[in-house]
Amino acid sequence: MRNQSTKKTFTVLTAFVLTLGLSVLGLSQGAAPAAQNGVTAPPLPAAPANAGRGAAGRGGARGANATPSAPTPRRADGKPIMGSMPGTATGRWNGGPTTLPPRNLDEVPFQPWARIVYDQRQIDQFEPHTRCKASGAARQFSTPYGTEFLEVPDLQRIYIMDEGGPHSYRIIYMDGRPHPKNLAPSYYGHSIGSWDGDTLVVDTIGFNEKFWMDTRGTPHTTQLHFIERFTRTDFNTMQYQATIDDPGAYTKTWTTPLFSMRWGANQDLFEYVCQDNNKGPELMLGSQESVDRSILYVP
Amino acid sequence: MKYFTGLVAGFAVVVVTLAPAAAQHTVAAKFDVSKSITLTGTVTQVDWATPYAHILMKVPSANSGAPARWAVEIESPILLSNNGWSQTTVKPGDVIRVEGPPARDGSKQVSGKTVLLTSTNKVVFKGYNGTPVAKPVVPDAPTPLWPDGHPRLGPTPGQTGYWGNPSSTSLVQAGVSVPMDAYGLLKNISDVDKVAPMQKWARDVYELRQRTFLSSDPMFQGCKPPGGPRQYQQISGVQFVEDLEHQRIFVLMGGGNRNERIMYLDGRKQVGQRNGDDDNPLYYGRAVAKWESGTLVADIIGFNEKFWFDNGGLPHTEQLHLKERYTRTSMNTLKYEVTIEDPGAYTKPWTASWTLQWIPGEELPYFLCQDNRP
Repeated sequence: MRNQSTKKTFTVLTAFVLTLGLSVLGLSQGAAPAAQNGVTAPPLPAAPANAGRGAAGRGGARGANATPSAPTPRRADGKPIMGSMPGTATGRWNGGPTTLPPRNLDEVPFQPWARIVYDQRQIDQFEPHTRCKASGAARQFSTPYGTEFLEVPDLQRIYIMDEGGPHSYRIIYMDGRPHPKNLAPSYYGHSIGSWDGDTLVVDTIGFNEKFWMDTRGTPHTTQLHFIERFTRTDFNTMQYQATIDDPGAYTKTWTTPLFSMRWGANQDLFEYVCQDNNKGPELMLGSQESVDRSILYVP
Repeated sequence: MKYFTGLVAGFAVVVVTLAPAAAQHTVAAKFDVSKSITLTGTVTQVDWATPYAHILMKVPSANSGAPARWAVEIESPILLSNNGWSQTTVKPGDVIRVEGPPARDGSKQVSGKTVLLTSTNKVVFKGYNGTPVAKPVVPDAPTPLWPDGHPRLGPTPGQTGYWGNPSSTSLVQAGVSVPMDAYGLLKNISDVDKVAPMQKWARDVYELRQRTFLSSDPMFQGCKPPGGPRQYQQISGVQFVEDLEHQRIFVLMGGGNRNERIMYLDGRKQVGQRNGDDDNPLYYGRAVAKWESGTLVADIIGFNEKFWFDNGGLPHTEQLHLKERYTRTSMNTLKYEVTIEDPGAYTKPWTASWTLQWIPGEELPYFLCQDNRP
């Protein structure tokens, strides 16, 4: 009896190891260069097998094992390339931060109302993203399929293309323009970028309050001034850190921990349509009754 | 605390009501245009969001009971802004008189055909049912080119702009002219057979969609994307971003949900991406393209059947195959030509074409189909 049981355990274990091995193999194949584009990528170290998955839970890819990586790719003028190398298959950044605050929430200078809203959101999780609203601020980097950085040097812009959510995009103006006055609040706000050495610094204002700026619902208001620092420290790693300046929700400016996103090689953007299989259009769009708003808003 | 009450109440409202949702639509899709009502009341809120702004108002009851709350649907904030409107053209506390068709479902909603501010006795809004305001004509210039000589589909360096004001907002076969509104609703239902060489079943489906005022439009009902030629017939326009470094062109949508899609110029096949969309049929299909002298020639297959590829509700099947030609004939004009092959829905291939106007100095308007609520 005992022998049988041991044998059974052994069989199950073997099967498990075999499956694991096969799936790792499968994933590496998925990341093989030139699999689908007819474009030959340079022989770069492959991303780790889990790089294509959005990291769940706190801190995104923090603490991921260091993997051998090629150096940061650069343009002729020495500036880092934030997206895909010219002439190669395209890739995406995966595993951004899912929650912006540090582990000790007491370090976040919440205004009392903002802390209450934050706590409530841990319970109801009624997130606008689930209703296909666009993903503003850092929320953009925590959808399961990542983002693509599209640099258009000719127009002095960087587009950040979202795969998930409503499959939309934001523009970072790199031409030195200021923020316009009287911005209409929007999901992505108005972003201007500049270089601080090898770090792309993106300054954004003009947000609306219709999205969560991370998956945990860290609150913000239309006064949010969001400053992001992107540093491609090697080919496969994008460090990300944000500073939150929002006198509507916080008593002072605070800065997030340092996060990192992982490069997913040979990952083209594909068609992802949040609305495709959303079974609650009334949650996305509201019903006729909610247009009436007699309960919600009209005093 | 107030916030929580609102949140909880909001949740309750959403859960208990399962009435159809409302996104972009012709007025008749939601409102009974054969009727007209007039209401006078006090503005409580202006809800400034796409696809339609709403004025919320309280209308005193005849029998001194509680006032009734009404929502007045007006135009999209984008068209309103183009007409000189702002969020404060009418303000909470203003008394307005509204005339227009009531909602078909009996809810307290009215489409504002005219909105009159009683303090000045001036009409501040006249419904325009999606018809865009003509943009001022700017001096034209030759087609801008890339250094290698092929036309630019986007702005020149240092400039901004997008393609808007389509010369046609509904798909009709070449050589045929039938009167329709800006959303593709036929003025005369007897014109159904003129629109395209439809198979019998497709013709009947088209007629049904027209007879029901386009109210079954997946974009209206659930903000599904405007795939195919429809993306070039949206009020809010499109933008092209040419990524020369990776031989592809992004099309950024002004209509629907501000989606992006890609046309590949790198010679790849029209197959799905493993671990991506695989070989699923898609809303925007699989597009490849190449330059033939001054024209971008695109080929798209792999469509699903979950969207309308035309504002007016012309049917298509998964066999839909589009051959498109994009020619920037000058700085200010983009000619779009499309050949529609769908042996599942049409008796023969057919063509249509129209032009888009370059709107200089502006980004794509910020339009989101599902912005309005909740």
